[in-house]
Amino acid sequence: MKLFLCLLIAALPAAAQPGPAVPRFVEETATAGVVARYTGGWEQMVGGGVATFDCNGDRRPDLAIAGGTSEATLWRNESRTGGQLGFARARAGIEMTGVSGLYPLDIDADGITDLVLLRVGEDVVLKGKGDCRFERANEAWHFDGGDLWSTAFSATWEAGADWPTLALGSYIDRTQDAFPWGSCTENRLFRPGADGGFASPLPLTPSYCALSMLFTDWNRSGQPALRVSNDREYYKGGQEQLWHIAPGQPPRLFTEAEGWQRLRVWGMGIASADLDFDGYPEYFLTSMADNKLQTLTEPGSPLPRYADVAFPRGAIAQRPYTGGDVRPSTAWHAQFEDVNNDGFSDLFIAKGNVSEMPDFAEADPNNLLLQRPDGTFAEAGDTAGIDSLLTARGAAVADFNLDGQMDLVVVNRNGPAQVWRNGGTGGHWITLALHQPGPNRDAIGAWVEVDMGDHIQRREVTSGGGHAGGSLGWLHFGLGTQDRARVRVIWPDGAASAWSELATDAFHDLERDAPARRFRP
Amino acid sequence: MNEPRARSLLRVLPARVAGLLALVLALGLQPAQATVDPQVALTTWYRLVLELVRHTPTYSPPVAARAFAYLGVTAYEATASGRTEMRSLAGQLNALPPLPTRAPNLGYDEGVVLDAALAEAVAHFFGNTGPTGQRAMAALKARMGATAAKGIAPDVVARSRAFGTAVAEHVVAWSQPDGGAVVSNMGFPMTWTVNDQPGHWVPTSRIVQQQAPLLPDWGRNRPLAMPGGAACPLPPPPPYSEDKGSSFHAEAVEVYDVSRHLTENERTIAAFWSDDPMLSPTPPGHWISILLQIADRDDMDPSRTVDALARLGIAISDGFIGCWDAKFRHDLIRPVTYIRKTIDPAWEPLLTTPPFPEYPSGHSTQSGAAATVLTAIFGAPFAFTDSTHVDDGLGARDYPDFWTAAHEAAVSRLYGGIHFRSAIERGLEQGACIGARVNGLRTLE
Repeated sequence: MKLFLCLLIAALPAAAQPGPAVPRFVEETATAGVVARYTGGWEQMVGGGVATFDCNGDRRPDLAIAGGTSEATLWRNESRTGGQLGFARARAGIEMTGVSGLYPLDIDADGITDLVLLRVGEDVVLKGKGDCRFERANEAWHFDGGDLWSTAFSATWEAGADWPTLALGSYIDRTQDAFPWGSCTENRLFRPGADGGFASPLPLTPSYCALSMLFTDWNRSGQPALRVSNDREYYKGGQEQLWHIAPGQPPRLFTEAEGWQRLRVWGMGIASADLDFDGYPEYFLTSMADNKLQTLTEPGSPLPRYADVAFPRGAIAQRPYTGGDVRPSTAWHAQFEDVNNDGFSDLFIAKGNVSEMPDFAEADPNNLLLQRPDGTFAEAGDTAGIDSLLTARGAAVADFNLDGQMDLVVVNRNGPAQVWRNGGTGGHWITLALHQPGPNRDAIGAWVEVDMGDHIQRREVTSGGGHAGGSLGWLHFGLGTQDRARVRVIWPDGAASAWSELATDAFHDLERDAPARRFRP
Repeated sequence: MNEPRARSLLRVLPARVAGLLALVLALGLQPAQATVDPQVALTTWYRLVLELVRHTPTYSPPVAARAFAYLGVTAYEATASGRTEMRSLAGQLNALPPLPTRAPNLGYDEGVVLDAALAEAVAHFFGNTGPTGQRAMAALKARMGATAAKGIAPDVVARSRAFGTAVAEHVVAWSQPDGGAVVSNMGFPMTWTVNDQPGHWVPTSRIVQQQAPLLPDWGRNRPLAMPGGAACPLPPPPPYSEDKGSSFHAEAVEVYDVSRHLTENERTIAAFWSDDPMLSPTPPGHWISILLQIADRDDMDPSRTVDALARLGIAISDGFIGCWDAKFRHDLIRPVTYIRKTIDPAWEPLLTTPPFPEYPSGHSTQSGAAATVLTAIFGAPFAFTDSTHVDDGLGARDYPDFWTAAHEAAVSRLYGGIHFRSAIERGLEQGACIGARVNGLRTLE
């Protein structure tokens, strides 16, 4: 007699593990004052990012939200510490249409954050003037905004450079209406120019319709490489990419001979975090249906070979877990943050149908995957209260009311942006901001280490990734039951600070070669 | 047609038509009558279909083959209705009732008829494609429709469009009860019972959807030219055994040994015929692509082209029905599962193992059917160059005849480490049987 094993397809190996503490998110969209929509048709099927950064010097993360066919908008954060979230619209000089994504960066190192606007049309760099005001700087900074459908961004400071290097990814040739497939337009690398500002961009070709880019020091060599996640829907002969970006050298792709393994997904977003405390980042790649969680197979070796551990770790998030629609999901922005302060990075994923794709879920809830101590994840989107069924694109997990709990903003396509306040779970935490003199004032490329006793939490300071938007500013660490924090910084040039013991449940400014300063909101 | 639009269109037209248009544009002239050659309408829509197959997630190879069959019949009947030398497939294909006929003594434009028929049929069979596919279909329909109607009397245009649309609607209605019209969850059952006895298929990937096999009921679909899914049965595979002296083990050792000593040419062949869903026009689309390239090279006329497209489409669609019928009767384990269990736990095949049982090989069955039909149409030897994957960075390959290509497509699955030899050889034989049934159709006299 034959024996049969009944497989429930939705069951995952991690499902039987005990669950971590679930934070309670309170949706405050109706009262927070943010009234923004990412609107449009085919040319706005991707994009819809949000940038979080402080634009008025009060240390609270403000919001810049892409509008698509509507104007991009900027929202001053007026939340009271630990209180309800509140924002007020500010006329900031970013109000233009065609914006698909936004990334904050202090390009000119004046201590005021600037903005890069990715657009369907000319990309625009905006110089921060303070008090949440911006002015166009394409001409002053010799930035060639082109006329593409831009969809991805990342920034780094190459060794010795006094000006950043920007990578901008673009999508489809939008003039090809009947046969757009295989028409991916050129990605570009903007390096410092000889006379200040940017030089003429270098092509990052072949280009395969990038939807996310991230400069990241994947092998801890001290020289970040550029990861590019590409949408296989539109490329031909393409794959995910990793570029060598060596100072003074032309960009060059990692090859199969160097260990790079071909992967073809509907790449839409990149999130990174050192999940297993081995000093090397894991990468989460959003896609359609199954998502990817990549971990180095041989940490410390020069080979960029990754294993996909999304399935055994329970991070695959391939279909809705609530709402009744069982078709596969479509994932966009992803971000690792510790939302329950237990010392383990959690994963938020924004979900939403591309546009009436009948093979994919229309009612597609965002995910909140809480990491357990064994490295597996448990879905908590519904119990935490962030399981919106609107059509999400960009998002940001940030502490808007400076209470040590990571809050959430989500941008929806042709729907209202939503904000949630995190009610917390009680774990200890510490929040840090890096500062160094000269260029790269926010220390993009640094690593922050927090000693947890039997392991070290490490966090790479990056600019880019996600989907069409990113954050700049505070770096949050959950500490669990640990009420002491030893912290050090590996600065972008490789110099390590001394370990400092800092107060927990507190904010600190870490100035290079200076004692830490506590910031009291 | 304005110049930028015309130049955009050049990218998608067959070389001979594109050459003429380019010449017109270069001379700064406008065509006197910008009607669409039926052959241009045909090949342009098919080129879009090859993209839609690639970019519509439901379109696994069996589903793609079904669409090619019905599109081929649509194009054939739209054309045959105006030609005495072409015999309708009504009464020859299973359950196909007589098609609409043209009004006697009234004029029709063949380009408009064919364009309208394909626009309607493509919109139906790819109704679940995404926003870009929808936009592309709408753009092509508008562009081709406007061009096709220029210089033709409005009543002829209206009559031709209505007739082409009616033919397509007829074929669509006929297709609906065949068992393949509705594909849910991309063809994967939501739950599945795996047979845990030795020798049976088990999931081979860590993709959640693929913990169930693809389209387990596809073999029960109504075929077009053969009486049922089991019309071309094949003998069982070698008896399952883990004994080292068994014929089953010997086949696994062959796959393992081949995988460890692959030549560069064998690697190229494996990649060339891999034809992964959503990353290529799929295996059936590969054969359609070969036929379109030949039609372009040989300047084939519309009647011959639609005849070949219909017969090839029917052959590959019935091929997948017959193959899937056998796959789920035998429910055989994949090499990756067997080899890791009995030979090398760390073995990795060159190609990703598809999510369904092993025996017979789908590539082999459909390629055998395709070669049988194309050889009947074009003869042998019949040399051709296959440039299907040039845009994807894979070079063109030359073949002296269709069976050489079919054998290469079949053995590519051995090189890829995803099929045993029996599945390949018996699959080709099954395909030949199915192709022979298609060759029994009476089409172009």
